[in-house]
Amino acid sequence: MAKKTNAARPGTMKKVLGYIGKYRLLLPVSILLAIISVCLTLYVPTLVGEAIDLIAHVGEPEFDSIDRIVGVLIEAGVLIGITALAQWLMSTINNKISFGVVRDIRNDAFTKLEELPLSYVDRKAHGDIVSRVINDADQFAEGLLLGFTQLFTGVLTIIGTLAFMIYMNWVIAAVVFILTPLSLFIARFIAKRTYSMFRERSECEGAATAYINEMIGNEKVVKAFSQEQKVLERFGKINGKLNRVSLKAIFFSSITNPSTRFVNSVVYAAVALSGALMAIPSINPGSAVALITVGELACLLSYANQYTKPFNEISGVLAEFQNSLACASRVFELIEEKSEIPDGENAVSLSEVSGNVRMDDVSFSYTPDKPLIENLCLEVKPGMRVAIVGPTGSGKTTLINLLMRFYDVDEGQISVEGHNIRDIKRRSLRESYGMVLQDTWLRAGTVKENIAMAKPDATDEEIIAAAKSAHAHSFIKRLKNGYDTVLGEGGEGLSQGQKQLLCITRIMLSDPPMLILDEATSSIDTRTEIRIQRAFFEMMKDRTSFIVAHRLSTVMNADVILVMREGKIVESGNHSELIAKGGFYYELYNSQFAR
Amino acid sequence: MKRLLKYLKSYKKECVLGPLFKMFEATLELIVPLVIAAIIDRGIEAENPSYVVKASLFLLSLGIVGLAFSLTAQYFSAKAAVGFVGKLRYAMFEKVGTLSYSDIDELGTSTLITRMTQDASKVQNGLNLTLRLLLRSPFVVFGAMIMAFTVDVRSALTFAAVIPLLSVVVFGIMLITMPLYKKAQKGTDKLLTRTRENLSGVRVIRAFGNEDEEISAFRGENDALTLIQRRVGRISALMNPLTYVLINIAVLLLIHTGAVRVSEGNLTQGEVVALYNYMSQILVELIKLANLIISITKALASASRIADVLSIESTENMGTLTKGKDTDIAVEFCSASLSYSGSSEASLDPISFAVRKGETVGIIGGTGSGKTTLVNMIPAFYKATSGEVRVLGEEVSKYSPEALRGMIGIVPQSAILFEGSIRENMRWGNENASDEDIMNAVATAQALDIVDGKGGLDAKIEQGGRNLSGGQKQRLTIARALVRKPEILILDDSASALDYATDASLRKAIKELSGTTVFIVSQRASSVMYADKIIVLDDGMAVGIGTHSELMASCPVYREIYATQFSEVHDG
Repeated sequence: MAKKTNAARPGTMKKVLGYIGKYRLLLPVSILLAIISVCLTLYVPTLVGEAIDLIAHVGEPEFDSIDRIVGVLIEAGVLIGITALAQWLMSTINNKISFGVVRDIRNDAFTKLEELPLSYVDRKAHGDIVSRVINDADQFAEGLLLGFTQLFTGVLTIIGTLAFMIYMNWVIAAVVFILTPLSLFIARFIAKRTYSMFRERSECEGAATAYINEMIGNEKVVKAFSQEQKVLERFGKINGKLNRVSLKAIFFSSITNPSTRFVNSVVYAAVALSGALMAIPSINPGSAVALITVGELACLLSYANQYTKPFNEISGVLAEFQNSLACASRVFELIEEKSEIPDGENAVSLSEVSGNVRMDDVSFSYTPDKPLIENLCLEVKPGMRVAIVGPTGSGKTTLINLLMRFYDVDEGQISVEGHNIRDIKRRSLRESYGMVLQDTWLRAGTVKENIAMAKPDATDEEIIAAAKSAHAHSFIKRLKNGYDTVLGEGGEGLSQGQKQLLCITRIMLSDPPMLILDEATSSIDTRTEIRIQRAFFEMMKDRTSFIVAHRLSTVMNADVILVMREGKIVESGNHSELIAKGGFYYELYNSQFAR
Repeated sequence: MKRLLKYLKSYKKECVLGPLFKMFEATLELIVPLVIAAIIDRGIEAENPSYVVKASLFLLSLGIVGLAFSLTAQYFSAKAAVGFVGKLRYAMFEKVGTLSYSDIDELGTSTLITRMTQDASKVQNGLNLTLRLLLRSPFVVFGAMIMAFTVDVRSALTFAAVIPLLSVVVFGIMLITMPLYKKAQKGTDKLLTRTRENLSGVRVIRAFGNEDEEISAFRGENDALTLIQRRVGRISALMNPLTYVLINIAVLLLIHTGAVRVSEGNLTQGEVVALYNYMSQILVELIKLANLIISITKALASASRIADVLSIESTENMGTLTKGKDTDIAVEFCSASLSYSGSSEASLDPISFAVRKGETVGIIGGTGSGKTTLVNMIPAFYKATSGEVRVLGEEVSKYSPEALRGMIGIVPQSAILFEGSIRENMRWGNENASDEDIMNAVATAQALDIVDGKGGLDAKIEQGGRNLSGGQKQRLTIARALVRKPEILILDDSASALDYATDASLRKAIKELSGTTVFIVSQRASSVMYADKIIVLDDGMAVGIGTHSELMASCPVYREIYATQFSEVHDG
């Protein structure tokens, strides 16, 4: 996974607002509901305080206090109901907005995925892209929701509480106001100190996990060499270190809660002290009555509790929100990547493809400073077989990339049936080739679904017929549920040879006019190999085909052999021509094919 | 689960002291409302400022003592949780070392790894939280209620009513949303799989022009996920408003009864305030408890998975023999067959053959024909289901694992090296090997150029041998097996990534090791054709045993393999 930066790029918030724009009618409602619920939440305790004060007068005959208390309580009850309703509506609306926004962002990200040039997909770590579309989007949703519900109401609560406290008694408000930052300060102090401990811990954890992966993952080798005891000893050391470091990290981080709780109790005691002293008239000269009633004190005490809570939460929520913006900015980065150049307006669809392919002076390189293919000319007539040979890493797949227009040529042009492929609709160009790569790709789903990818409306009969001609029917039949057997991601549950046969079946079904094939190598046993080869030959009959060749028989029967070395085509011609030439092909032939 | 408790034994003290100190802290918290009540009734009402000051100082000291208690508790909990899980991890690691190959096959290494990493840390977290909160939260909830009863029984009845109601709301919402969250997770997984597939299969999808279909499928799955997320959100959004209403209605009722009780002279104003404060304490702890229960359930599930690993009975059942008989026969199969557990068909049908010391045996056949199965029976990785496998005249499972495997150098199919220097890797073959021994083995394995190229025996091999090519890894694993100067050398298709020339010189060098019995498993006829004895396997059955020329005459399968691999040259 790529390095994660924790800062959002500038402009991210604006883009987020752009997505929220779709819900612009809901947003003010949410804000209004937040204001209502915060104000009422703060107002209700004053009513409770009032009721408590009325209790003091209970028993005074001229004072119908119980009835008045009931009146106050009913008022409070109604307001409580309204508050709860507002809270619930607000959360529901925020839910709707957050998840909606994330859904939209995700859709855009995935759509982009289908438009990205292959060069991007090949270059970037897939795990990183997946994590942007899935994890980052998820974290953004969570952060957004939290931001909506807690950040906003939290700030409102703090401001409101302060206002109410100042209104009730400014001295006590001042006491609270001065003391609260203390808890923030302590929390930050501890967080800073524990940060390095946690980093050390995750390093140790990483080391332990890596060791477990390596040794348990290869336990059979460990046993084959009777290394169980030695490996265990070493794990004991790693584990011991992890334990020591974990204990430190866990303990120090767990100091935060008790510490802020302690600060809260200091605030609480200070409010109790100052409030109670002011509630005693005799020690407050200059005023005949108390500066504050008992009810007000009770109310202030509950405020003091409430007030510190959003403070503690806000610092957490703020960090979360910031992080979620950083996540969003990573998703946006993906969404804003350059797409493939779209098909031109006048791009044609190929209707009849007989198999004419021309390369005129084609040059291509992945990076400008490393020229790869230079001035390649090639004329392929219908039904011709073109073999591409060369050592591993010589760039044989680059040609496939150019033919399929996964990459665009830098200079020159490739044409199919006389049309420059840049003027052909991509889909139409690609559909005129059937491609089987050595790196077989199957998806999670049934065998049938995998075969029918090329032709979603294929009937069962067509699918079975294709499988038969690809020599795949016999093994599919023997699978647990035949054609309905569910395969795991990447075709899990099949052998390499079986996967390849399925990929060939897929092409058999789509019946394309031209072929691009990457032959299998040694991982398949000889008898399966023969079957695959037979399937290949079946397909190549009368079709223009390009084959990355590993087998001598393929190479020798080819009409043109392109010999590649270090990314360049060094020789071309048919087998006897090249042998006669005595060049690189001759060498290759002697070392690789002669046995 | 009981099995795990013994690992907790050495932390008995911590497990008792942790929660105990938490309870002390909670007790102090329960005193606070009483102090406030006293301030009101005896400080304010009695106009006694010095009492107010004293009581406030008392509040402060409660805070300080509470902090001390709580820190002590956190320390003990962390110590117990970390120590306990450290022991579990170690025990699991040790357990895995005792398992047989069949056990490992059955469990799967990825499962074992998850148990030791993710499950272990969930248990650690769960135990830590449990020690800290499991007693504290209920203690505060019920403590608050009991305190309320001591203040005034009639007013406290509200508590008895509201606590069950709150519990129903909090736990009810939790129970309803938990499966929905799981469903949402499944939905996310679907998106994840599709995204990953669209990256790994980008060429195939674009080759078929399936982009639009993929986008609409993704949108469908995304919509379904959003729907679930919104539904869960709506339900869990009920938690706050509902508990808010319940608690506040209870407060209102409390004040009403309180007012009546005060008018009857049974209660003071300060005591009403105290009751009010107790009510607020309950809610916070109840929500904490609900969250705690979620993590405990998860931790318990993880713990039982760990217990499963620890309770596996290993099927590794070896003897104590350290030496074989003095015989000329190195390896002998006496109608030995093998069926893997869970599979109805035999992977290797009964087979009999004997190999003399110093002979080279080639084993050839297609994928799944039983070649690896056969050689894995020699070091007793798997035991014969019927019949016997003997090494130096003794049945293999009579040996101690170290003795048997010490005689055998095996090069498994997948070339696996470990993080560390080349020397460290080579010494897996023999702990006491000198650099000279190692270099000799390296030379035989045709790997001198690798060691030189990397900068000698001290050169680092990265995890999984990432900094080596497939062929380089194969040659080094061969060298590793040779370092122990084995009496029996098994090469399980371990030259597949080598070119033919290197393969040939390797075979030549191995041939020169005198007295070593060699098994070569291969799909290439060229690798086995010069062996003293070739075993041809087809679908688990030995269809031919003999020399190359014998088999060419008598074994059609061998002829076919040979023909497919050599005909091409003759074509030209």
